Amino acid sequence: MSELFVQAKQAILATDKEKALEAAKRHLDAGGEPLEIISRGFVPGITEVGEQFGRGTLFLPELIMAAEAMMAVTDLLSAAMAAKGGSVSASPSGSILAATVKGDVHDIGKGIAIAMFKANGYAVHDLGRDVEVDEIINGAEKHGVRVIATSALLTTTMSEQKKLEETLKKAKLRDKYVTLVAGAPVTQRWATRIGADIYAENAHIGVVRVGEKL
Amino acid sequence: MSKIWTRMGDGSPVELTPAELRQDLEDGSADAADRGGVPGLNEDDFKYLEELFARRDRFVGVDVGNEVVLTYDGAALKFKRHCLFEERLHVLTMYEKMFGADTVELGHVDYSYKPVKPIVNYEQGTLEMGLLTTHSPLIYGAMPNLGLYTRPDGPCPNPMELLPQGKIKEARAAYEDMVEEAVRDMVFVVGSMYESGADGFNLDTVGASGDADVLAAFLALEKLRAKYPDIAVEVGMAGEFILGMHGELQYDGQRLAGLYPHQQVKLAEKAGAVIFGPVVNTNTDQTIPWNLARTVVFIRACSKAASIPVHANMGMGVGAVPVTDFPPVDVLSRASKALVELCDLDGL
Repeated sequence: MSELFVQAKQAILATDKEKALEAAKRHLDAGGEPLEIISRGFVPGITEVGEQFGRGTLFLPELIMAAEAMMAVTDLLSAAMAAKGGSVSASPSGSILAATVKGDVHDIGKGIAIAMFKANGYAVHDLGRDVEVDEIINGAEKHGVRVIATSALLTTTMSEQKKLEETLKKAKLRDKYVTLVAGAPVTQRWATRIGADIYAENAHIGVVRVGEKL
Repeated sequence: MSKIWTRMGDGSPVELTPAELRQDLEDGSADAADRGGVPGLNEDDFKYLEELFARRDRFVGVDVGNEVVLTYDGAALKFKRHCLFEERLHVLTMYEKMFGADTVELGHVDYSYKPVKPIVNYEQGTLEMGLLTTHSPLIYGAMPNLGLYTRPDGPCPNPMELLPQGKIKEARAAYEDMVEEAVRDMVFVVGSMYESGADGFNLDTVGASGDADVLAAFLALEKLRAKYPDIAVEVGMAGEFILGMHGELQYDGQRLAGLYPHQQVKLAEKAGAVIFGPVVNTNTDQTIPWNLARTVVFIRACSKAASIPVHANMGMGVGAVPVTDFPPVDVLSRASKALVELCDLDGL
């Protein structure tokens, strides 16, 4: 059985969706618990993918392909759990809405973060760049997300993240969401000052902190 | 023993015991050595940095004889960021005559080569006036900024919209098209300004859009070097390693994605750069001692590998300078001194 966990991990590292699905199917055919291969094979694989991306030894296209492989196996294993009558999902609870704030067209960091969240099994709704606060809140309400993640690359656009916090409070929606702020000029001090729940120094840390918060 | 006052990477004050300071220095050094595959700091380096941070001086400077060239990228634009609306040429003369700048740099407010293309004649006139009013070398600077070539600002599809949809082939093709567009614009603008008499050029914040951005800069530089053999071009980077947004682009047979400063400089030399400006990013969750030890490791490796002058980038969020609008002079001066004296730098 442990050989299958190694194969699962290697399949994610190799961004090989077919081999990842094969490992998941063989595990299920052998009567294995879906969550076991996720926690002992696929999650260590995607964790290492994230670490390698952060170190510059694995790149965005590979990260996207690893995310696709991960999504395929979590769908398969979630369905297997449901068939067994299990109520536990293979995916982390809660989905995420991501946007670059109004006045800012920089979306590379957001794109990386979305790939990383997807790779870790989160459903992400991307509203794109240069997005108004009202549009962000409407999007969050429409998609029923748990996390609102915003990115700002400019000191002149960071204030939109503060505006989001204030608008959520005014609309009495603040407690409904976990807010995450990121971007080159954004710091923990800024997040604390405006009342955001999570500051993410990079995409990998964002995934870890959202996981802890949810 | 009394605590040592310093800062976090976000600029907030923090006090460390001598043991905590040493641990942060060791951890920062180990992180860079591990990532870059380069030697970490030695015991003499640690002692130097421990003494540097333990000093109570608000401001420190290099020892006599260790002075280096001071250049400023985007100089003419930085006054505006602080709501000082001086005309660009006045700013250049202030940098030269009041701030001790060894070079001055003219740049357009968009600070990207693409938007300069349609107004290059206006920029040529301003440059010529600048050459008449300043004495130090006058550099023209801007970014390759491949982001400006994506829709709706440019002709290419946006890879950051394609990649999350899993359209990797299409995203890579878009990056390759963006490279061609950017090379053409950089060669046109730099060539035009060179023919108007600019003393040098800065391809700045190279790599801001990832590996394609770097390839565009290097290919443009090759063409410029072929056309103008004596042209002086500095390559200043955007980050400590090249982001692999395309992932497979190569220059001189080497994959660009993931290269660190000591590897970047060799390719910049090959492309024809005369000065290299490496960047090491500041981590806001860590202390400045951690960041500075890490920066010294990367920059020293770059300086050792280089055959051309190295001018490290120091400023908001890079070079162990905190991510704050106004860099605090205590840690800025410490970082500057350490980089010059430990890394054998030619300039900042």
